[in-house]
Amino acid sequence: MSDVTLTIDGKTVTVPKGTKVVDAAKQVEVDIPVFCYHEKIGPLGCCRMCLVEVEKMPKLMTACTMDVAPDMVVKTVGDKVEKAQKGVLEFTLLNHPLDCPVCDKGGECPLQDNTFKYGPPDTRMEFHRANNVKAAPLSPVITIDRERCIACQRCTAYSERIEQDRGLVMLNRGFHNEVNTFNNEPYDNRFSGNVIDICPVGALTNTDFRFKARTWDLENHDTLCANCGCNCNITLGTRLNEFMRIEARPNDAVDDGWICDKGRWGHHFMESKNKITAARENSVGKTEPTSFPNFPINAPAEQAAEKVIEIFKNIAEEHGPESIGFLGSPYATNEEGYLYQKLFRLLGTNNIDHKSYQDTPGLPIRHFDVEEIENSNIVLLIACDPTEELPILDLRIKKAVSRCGTKLLSLNDQDTALDKYAELKVKYKVGSEASAVDALAEGLARELGESIDFSSDLGPTGISDEDMKSLVEAVRSSMKICVVYNPAALSGDTSLRVKRLLSVIARIPTIECGAIPAAPATNAVGAVDMGLLPDFYPGGVPVSDSEKVKELWGENAPTKPGLSASEMIAKAKSGDLKALWIHRSNPVVDFPGGEQVVEALKNLDLLVVHDMLETETTQLAKIVLPSNGPGFDEGTTTNIGGRVQARRKALEANSIDDWKLIQVMLKKLGDESSYSRVAKVLNEISQKVPGYQEINSRFVGKQGCNREQVAGEEVSPGNVESAASSNGKLQLRVATYLFAHDKILDASSKLAYHFKPSSAFLNESDAGKIGVSNGDRVSISGNGTEMEAEVTIDNRCMEGGVVVPRISDEQGVNGLGNPDGSPAWVDIKKA
Amino acid sequence: MQEYKFTEEQEKEISRILAKYPVKTSALLPLLTLVQRADRVVSPEAMVAISKKLDVSPAYVQSVMSFYTMYHTEKVGKYMILFCINISCQLNGCDKLLEHTARKLNIKVGETTSDEKFTLHREECLAACTEAPMMRVNDTYYGNLTEQRIDQILESLD
Repeated sequence: MSDVTLTIDGKTVTVPKGTKVVDAAKQVEVDIPVFCYHEKIGPLGCCRMCLVEVEKMPKLMTACTMDVAPDMVVKTVGDKVEKAQKGVLEFTLLNHPLDCPVCDKGGECPLQDNTFKYGPPDTRMEFHRANNVKAAPLSPVITIDRERCIACQRCTAYSERIEQDRGLVMLNRGFHNEVNTFNNEPYDNRFSGNVIDICPVGALTNTDFRFKARTWDLENHDTLCANCGCNCNITLGTRLNEFMRIEARPNDAVDDGWICDKGRWGHHFMESKNKITAARENSVGKTEPTSFPNFPINAPAEQAAEKVIEIFKNIAEEHGPESIGFLGSPYATNEEGYLYQKLFRLLGTNNIDHKSYQDTPGLPIRHFDVEEIENSNIVLLIACDPTEELPILDLRIKKAVSRCGTKLLSLNDQDTALDKYAELKVKYKVGSEASAVDALAEGLARELGESIDFSSDLGPTGISDEDMKSLVEAVRSSMKICVVYNPAALSGDTSLRVKRLLSVIARIPTIECGAIPAAPATNAVGAVDMGLLPDFYPGGVPVSDSEKVKELWGENAPTKPGLSASEMIAKAKSGDLKALWIHRSNPVVDFPGGEQVVEALKNLDLLVVHDMLETETTQLAKIVLPSNGPGFDEGTTTNIGGRVQARRKALEANSIDDWKLIQVMLKKLGDESSYSRVAKVLNEISQKVPGYQEINSRFVGKQGCNREQVAGEEVSPGNVESAASSNGKLQLRVATYLFAHDKILDASSKLAYHFKPSSAFLNESDAGKIGVSNGDRVSISGNGTEMEAEVTIDNRCMEGGVVVPRISDEQGVNGLGNPDGSPAWVDIKKA
Repeated sequence: MQEYKFTEEQEKEISRILAKYPVKTSALLPLLTLVQRADRVVSPEAMVAISKKLDVSPAYVQSVMSFYTMYHTEKVGKYMILFCINISCQLNGCDKLLEHTARKLNIKVGETTSDEKFTLHREECLAACTEAPMMRVNDTYYGNLTEQRIDQILESLD
């Protein structure tokens, strides 16, 4: 794009064509006041605050709607402009109440600031100000003060252009103009909270934060949201070591300036009653309390941990290192993950994992950062539902489609909210993702003239030949493609097949390509990178590469592949695994298997759970250790785009930091490394983890930085086995629901109004066969577990499948799944 | 909220209207008019039905609808009387005539008669100053009004 040079207040500035004058002025530090304009939303020209004088133009112009032009001469000062600014402000303030002393926006209010800087000293208004509703709920979490609203329309423009629901609009006209929703319904969607941040006055306020603190009394901590893999940047405001509020902290490379409602109001778990505050010993399982005499009950966590790790060591010595295991967390920081895998590999075991699905480190093509979505001309979603799984990715995709000319393709087994933006949607039958992915890969390979045979078969997928052909053609003819896939939603070894598909795409000579592995967990990418895997050391170094392993990790480092999470659970059941350590994970609820997982964990000699909240799993644990969790912890996380960012401490905890606790245990085992600060752990990561060489705390800074690509192995999954016959059963697809009632969003959560009842989405023909209609209660059973749900018939999936969103921990939908992660069959009967 | 059903004839009319516009949203005002004429009110249910026809949010339909004064959220009478009160009519004594009309119908300005026959509203300029004072009853303009003429007009409407 060509550049344009213009003069603003005597300063010359060169900006790209199409820039608005108001943005050009920022570059030469000329301040043009605005209310309605927001750089991410675009021009509105509604509030008239940005009037400037432009040479050769007879009238004052709005700087926010005017594109720069060559040799334009703009004046933002002078009698004419100042008179206009005073006039606009006097008008804006006609009915604005003077309640700044009790207004939440006071101290960070653009109206206040602009009035002081540009406004008239007094008003000529002789009549009473109009009275209006002072505090009406716009939604359970947003309160609107209609007197303070200056009708700038920033929020309604946001609703129209960014979140694109048009849920918030201006009703009526003239003096009666008001921000409202349809028929006074609550304004609730996944991104409603952003209107609080962008409101330039105190009209839209955070109900949770109302009257809690003055903004200048807050300590603001620049940290990260811990609720999904987007890792949006947030400012966490605290006062006297108490959590106050969360605001978005714009970072174009991650969140584009927005956060979702779960990010804004879903952090009250930090002060949950369920928080684990001290180490304790439960009298559960096979072992009575007496089996650990001298266990320091009520001792500080570090003493307890020292004691317990010694017991682990003894078990490993007695029964061999295969008899112990570690289940890490995709929610923990890189530092915690790294230290934990180091600890357990020091104990001689590779029984280390963090997930219930299959995944491997690295990609055969470039790992795209989230921003690349905007400049890709094709985005291909595979088994992804960003609206529920990674909400900010949903906004990014909408932006790309509506403003950047990106085309969206979707390959999924269920309908999603983003489908209406898709150019092409190809739906396969639930459970047939392996065949669908293979068919696409084979189609592309054939286009390349390669004689590859994956023995793919479209039969079980239900995809028509034409649909697959158009999908292949759309991918092949793209110039730049970004593949976004969710490994957590892919059954069996399909995520490996996706990698094979990616390597085929990489061989198409005409296109630039990259991928984003979009697992929903906060640090899913980091956990894989940090080697919380049975067959890979950190940085994608395979355990079988003994030379490299020994070079990095010493002579005694284990080189035998360990057990995956599901294998560990199976071995626990059979009694081969004696002791398991779980870090911030709740396999009883979150892993497939349900009761089988419970039985397996009960069968262990020793189960240690290091977690921040009480869960179904901590109830089974012999030893429970406290973890502080987000808000209290510090370290780095790696988001879905491979960007490493700093999660900073905002609150002081009573318990010891996780990384310090692991360090205590490492010392106990004779490890000599000592870390004075968490940054020293990151230093070690940069030395030991391929891909993280460039990462250090200074480089991560406020915006984060991309790690180098982690090496990926060439994968060659076998051919898809033909599925067993259904016998009238349906294939289960567990869908994600953003506001699930779990430990993070508990009953007292501000977002509890989003909780949903359990429902099952059926295809018309299946519903007919089972004999149920909309609203019927059904019981779903599989894998020895049973749960109830209400039927919705809407063809969300194809015949032969059922979509059940995971709406709460109690619902127990994961219990229906097979412990080994293969597609699950369920029976549905009318209750 | 109950589902709003268009009649078969309305459906035909809607298809005819939609065919006129390259962008669906453009048909919003014609559809609102269609509903207002048929129901004498635009109910929330109807707004939802229109929003589905046009692929926009119900909030957007309400936002457009509430901008215009001739769409109503409360049911109006069979005859909608819009009495011009702008300057030309004012100079020619519209205030008195408006008062007279209200008295005659036994309602206040802004109200609807109990038999739902008449609704009386003030209206800013209706662009017929040459005939001032004037009023509009549904789609018909009546100019050069006097008390007698108003009585006659009201009686002639059944």
